[in-house]
Amino acid sequence: MSEKVKLEIYRYNPESDDKPYMQSFEVPVEKSGMKLLDALNYIKWHIDGSLTYRRSCGEGVCGSDGLNINGVNGLGCITAIEGLKPPIKVRPLPNMPVTRDLVVDMNHFFDQYKQIKPWLQSNTPKPEHERLQSPVERAELDGSYECILCGCCTTSCPSWWWNGDKFLGPAALLQANRWLKDSRDDAAGERLDMLEDSFKLYRCHQIMNCMEACPKELNPTKAINDIKRALVKRKV
Amino acid sequence: MSQKMKQSPLSPRLSIYKWRLTMFASIAHRASGVFLVFTIPALFWLLLSMAHGKITYAYGLHWLQGSFGTFVLWLTCVALFYHMVNGIRFLLLDIGKTDSREAMKLSAKIVVFSTIAFALLLAIKI
Repeated sequence: MSEKVKLEIYRYNPESDDKPYMQSFEVPVEKSGMKLLDALNYIKWHIDGSLTYRRSCGEGVCGSDGLNINGVNGLGCITAIEGLKPPIKVRPLPNMPVTRDLVVDMNHFFDQYKQIKPWLQSNTPKPEHERLQSPVERAELDGSYECILCGCCTTSCPSWWWNGDKFLGPAALLQANRWLKDSRDDAAGERLDMLEDSFKLYRCHQIMNCMEACPKELNPTKAINDIKRALVKRKV
Repeated sequence: MSQKMKQSPLSPRLSIYKWRLTMFASIAHRASGVFLVFTIPALFWLLLSMAHGKITYAYGLHWLQGSFGTFVLWLTCVALFYHMVNGIRFLLLDIGKTDSREAMKLSAKIVVFSTIAFALLLAIKI
């Protein structure tokens, strides 16, 4: 008989529950390197089909299964069961309206992403083929383009918990910095004008939970500091 | 049902989030700053009062040498030390130094543990 691991999972069904509660499950550890998403799938397929969570690629690329795992945000599909202290407490991403169980409403998060205008804005005529970059210019985007918008960083940030309506949060700001650094983009001035706000940008107090939570090992705190320096630079 | 759907609960945050050292370092920076805003003027007021009157000098000395006065002085020194060292850490980050993931974690460790060492040393000395 295989070894079992205990999980405590946040449950909430808006149609039948007045308030959320934690439910315990026991799952067999079927293979070495088993991931948390495998355990959730086991529960859904063999114990309780009503358990609701998001998942898609299962390999840390799509960013669907951002969860709070034993108190820290991460992706269920790349978090190994082995390294987690049982009972493994699985909750939805913090400070989000819960739709059902581990599924949260991401609309506000994506609306904040939209606010930074995450697309190329160029004044130059459209070229016949692609807009070229030198290898050095392309390397400037390393550490930004890898973001999968899972929301682990933004929902781990206490500044965003208290001022999430106005502070854009680490994910949107990391992306804002990505477009500021893009050699093909000509809208840096407008982008910085939009960001120069005591709440949108300057609510970051360097708590660094974003950097600790990022499953892609990116550094949104550094990106935010880069934007602050760019704002200072254009004034001197 | 629709009424319930509208009132989605907010997923838990501070009560469940695991404290990381970097998070502690930042929140302790705010807390020590607020603490110093009140204690530094109060201690300066005490010093000024002691410098300008023999009776207040005697009262002030008595209070400072008591266990509560000693504790407040110790705590103020520790808060000042922490705020200064972590302030330097933040200034370095502001100018783009020590801003790799590893350096951010290491600098938090250095700041917190050096403050603990300072606090212990001070407690032994006074």
